[in-house]
Amino acid sequence: MGWRADLESISALMRRAANELLRVPGAAIPGVLAPTIFFLGLTAVFGSLVDLTGFPTNSYQSWLIPISLLQGAGFTGAATGVNLARDIEQGWFDRLLVSPAPRPVILAGLVLSAALRSLIPATVLLAVGFAIGVHWPGVPGLLIAVLCVMCMGTIAACWGTALALRYRSQSAAPLMQAGMLLVILTTTAYAPLALLTGWLHTVARYNPVTQIVEAARQGFVGGVTWGDTWPGLLALAGLLALLAALALRGMRRTAV
Amino acid sequence: MTATDLRVIAALGARSVKQTFRRPQLLAPIVVFPSILLAIQTAGAGRAVDLPGFPPVDNFLSFMLAGAMIQSTLLAGNSGGIALAVDIEMGFTDRLLAAPISRFAIVLGRLAGTAALAGLSAIWFIAVGLIFGASIQEGVPGALLMIFFVVLSGVAFGGIGASVALRTGSASVVQGLFPLVFVILFLSSAFFPDTLMLEPAASIAKYNPLSFIVEGIRDPVISSITWSVFGKAIGALALVGAIGIGLSALALRRRLRTGG
Amino acid sequence: MPAIEANELERTFEGGVQAVAGVDLEVADREIYAFLGPNGAGKTTMVRMLTTLLRPTGGSARVAGYDVVTEAASVRRAIGVALQEAALDPLMTGRELIRLQATLHGLARQEGHEKSDALLERVDLVDAADRQVGTYSGGMRRRLDLASALVHEPKVLFLDEPTTGLDPVSRRTIWEEVEQLNREGTTVFLTTQYLEEADQLANRVGIIDDGKLVAEDTPAQLKAQIGHPRLEIRLVEDVAERAREIVVRFGRPLPSKDGAVLVELEGGATGVAPVVRALDEAGLTVESLDLVEPTLDDVFLEKTGHHLEPEEPETGEVE
Repeated sequence: MGWRADLESISALMRRAANELLRVPGAAIPGVLAPTIFFLGLTAVFGSLVDLTGFPTNSYQSWLIPISLLQGAGFTGAATGVNLARDIEQGWFDRLLVSPAPRPVILAGLVLSAALRSLIPATVLLAVGFAIGVHWPGVPGLLIAVLCVMCMGTIAACWGTALALRYRSQSAAPLMQAGMLLVILTTTAYAPLALLTGWLHTVARYNPVTQIVEAARQGFVGGVTWGDTWPGLLALAGLLALLAALALRGMRRTAV
Repeated sequence: MTATDLRVIAALGARSVKQTFRRPQLLAPIVVFPSILLAIQTAGAGRAVDLPGFPPVDNFLSFMLAGAMIQSTLLAGNSGGIALAVDIEMGFTDRLLAAPISRFAIVLGRLAGTAALAGLSAIWFIAVGLIFGASIQEGVPGALLMIFFVVLSGVAFGGIGASVALRTGSASVVQGLFPLVFVILFLSSAFFPDTLMLEPAASIAKYNPLSFIVEGIRDPVISSITWSVFGKAIGALALVGAIGIGLSALALRRRLRTGG
Repeated sequence: MPAIEANELERTFEGGVQAVAGVDLEVADREIYAFLGPNGAGKTTMVRMLTTLLRPTGGSARVAGYDVVTEAASVRRAIGVALQEAALDPLMTGRELIRLQATLHGLARQEGHEKSDALLERVDLVDAADRQVGTYSGGMRRRLDLASALVHEPKVLFLDEPTTGLDPVSRRTIWEEVEQLNREGTTVFLTTQYLEEADQLANRVGIIDDGKLVAEDTPAQLKAQIGHPRLEIRLVEDVAERAREIVVRFGRPLPSKDGAVLVELEGGATGVAPVVRALDEAGLTVESLDLVEPTLDDVFLEKTGHHLEPEEPETGEVE
């Protein structure tokens, strides 16, 4: 099979994922609105933290929005995993595995749609965010944030896929969602590193997702610099490679 | 209500508790999730105690603990509602309805289970809190009061979850209420003092019955029991409880009338 | 006093669907009565009304002497119910479930435990009693359901499609149990879509179609109304003509089918022996002999104009 056939397979799989969204839009609404609801809630509740010395901005919503953007990507990716688990349960996935499409192509088809779909909650979030006073990040800042969102969506989809292949059941869904939530919140989510206490300070310091958060956050709280960007890009690349490998390995195992 | 009804309520309550422990997915939202969130939020926003206007506390954990407990209880009410909806969907409630027991015992049995789970979770959080450095100003009587409030909350929120389950008979609808739980929590003083929250959430939180309930649980932890706080908590619990149980009764009646 | 009686019992659902359209019936004490009909005929609706789970929209019914609407609690005390798709909680163990049922019926703790254990033994579920119901096979679930319906020794037992989806062995076990219960004095009202089940178990069968009772009698009488059994005789040599001359003395000859000689036996199955003797005396060797009885499906077809489906019991879950 040539690369052209591969591309066609990928786009066909992506179209199928989009189809699901369109046919049962109601099911997608929680996933789309949840990050925005949490964004509004957390801003309202913890907004005063900005008065502490150490915050680079006086707008908590600007500080928080990258977290919610990544959360939206995380949920979207997890949903890919849930759908795959359902397909596995119903036997549809076996049909896919039996086809001549190479495994990386199948994986690409499954997870790349998550990259695009992550933009849906992100758009809602940005619209609401700007309405309540989030600073305009400038075009470079926005582009970097969007890149982080799309990559995070793909990473989350690989995570969900790996779990779906491992457990072959929709009951792994909470694990997919919780895993993403956990990894995004154990960063400089609520406050800058200096203000984090105890164990969280240590974890956030070494959590690669922190770099992604900071890269996405730059424009919203200040200026964009290469120095703040490349660690995030590195983290994205690293996590993507790691989780894609995990997912592929899961797929190879099921090919018995 | 006969002696049999009371025994049935206890038996159904015991069943709910066993069910929750036998299915991890039901236990996770009640214990695991709020505990993790407690840990993260305490460490993440912990410096809030330095903010001017923050009530005097030993540490942020002491403040947050009540919020985690009420979150757990709200989710327990939601879980109980889901379990009741599953019972309806699989026909288990028919087994109960065909038996010579009071119709409402079916609801009360479910609420007894939720209350018991709430109580167990309260003990968990008190233990976790004490281990990680929180201290309860009012000591053992304070802890008992906290458990008391949490158990009553379990009944109240369980009632609301049950009413949705009875009205819709669908587990996925009850599950859809999950985000709503968080909206209500954010619009209260569960995680932060309402005086330090941003508008308009701060004003809503000021009058949210959930705030009164949370403050009732929080009071013995961060200070000595104030009767006005206690009174407001009881009042809020009575209100929510009456609404929850009232709606359940109506939903049950409607379900029995239109037939299964 | 009849165990069950219904008077123009009717149930119309929202949207105008009339599931049960005015049914009169009377089930005597200690009888086994079967409601036979296809899916959607109204059997389950009927059972739900008689077991107080559904209010009739017209007519009335009494079970064990109590009105199902105004004296519902008394009805519930007197009946045992095993509904379709065995409403069992997969997370409970068999023992927990049957003990819960005992509590629901007001049995004191000690008595409830004793009766539960005895019933578990009776339906051969002692080994599995402490495993979660989710691990049980279909046959085991039905047995558990049946046992829990009996824990308070009800006078009237309602079984809604008790053997649907079961393999033949499990089916037979349930039948034996039902017959034993009946011998011990329990009235049994069961619904089924299986002819064989109604034929084997029931004292009387009520044929229900589209919410109406279209026929009601003992299985034998119902079949006799339709016709008599026929004998299909295959002979070794081509002596059909001679055979026919002999056979015509014993019953009405029917057109031949595939070379077999057909005769309708008006006197029923007892007419077989004389026919065979006569053929034998005439020196004609019989290769095969088939006695074909009219079936309840023939009855159903005659009364309703369509076949009862499915005709053959499905082979259900196997352990």
